[in-house]
Amino acid sequence: MSKICVSLTFAKDNCDKATVAFVVANAAVASGQETLVFLSTEAVRLAVKGYADDMHEEGFAPLKQLIDNYLAAGGALFVCSPCIKKRGFDESQMIDGAQVVGGAKLVEFLSQGAASISY
Amino acid sequence: MSKIDPIPPYQTHWDAGDLGCGELVMELMLRLRALQPGEVLRLTALDPGAPADIPAWCRMTGHVLRHCEPASHDFFIQRK
Repeated sequence: MSKICVSLTFAKDNCDKATVAFVVANAAVASGQETLVFLSTEAVRLAVKGYADDMHEEGFAPLKQLIDNYLAAGGALFVCSPCIKKRGFDESQMIDGAQVVGGAKLVEFLSQGAASISY
Repeated sequence: MSKIDPIPPYQTHWDAGDLGCGELVMELMLRLRALQPGEVLRLTALDPGAPADIPAWCRMTGHVLRHCEPASHDFFIQRK
């Protein structure tokens, strides 16, 4: 099993990129890879309860469904701690399965040989 | 596996239509989980990426691609 990191920095400011990031993350976790989605800057909004419920890029499944499937399949979801603080959110507002982390937690995963793709 | 291998008997058929990429393999993973080891799923997948993705996915997961039919977009996948 390899480690795969999907880094995402967009939310409703680019629904296309946000959606494709989770499509690829679904492919990774469904392929038996240890998969991490790292949400930073604007993308942290995707981990806020209810935010992604109305996001549906044409040609893809609704984003909430992609996120739910990803988490149910065992994918990890890291949310940048300073990025949520800057936007006035706290951990209590995050969806189940999201883990608020600092940079060290991400770097630890990457340092273990993870391949990364960014959106 | 090659396309000239005989078509194996299969226990279930899933027509995935145009579903592709991560959505396709996620659903495929769940459907194969519902089978017993050794059972075969016939997948019909029209997505243009499927002929490249399905063999790669099988190599990664250990499921066996027993046969594919490019003309009919069919893949016969045996659960590991």
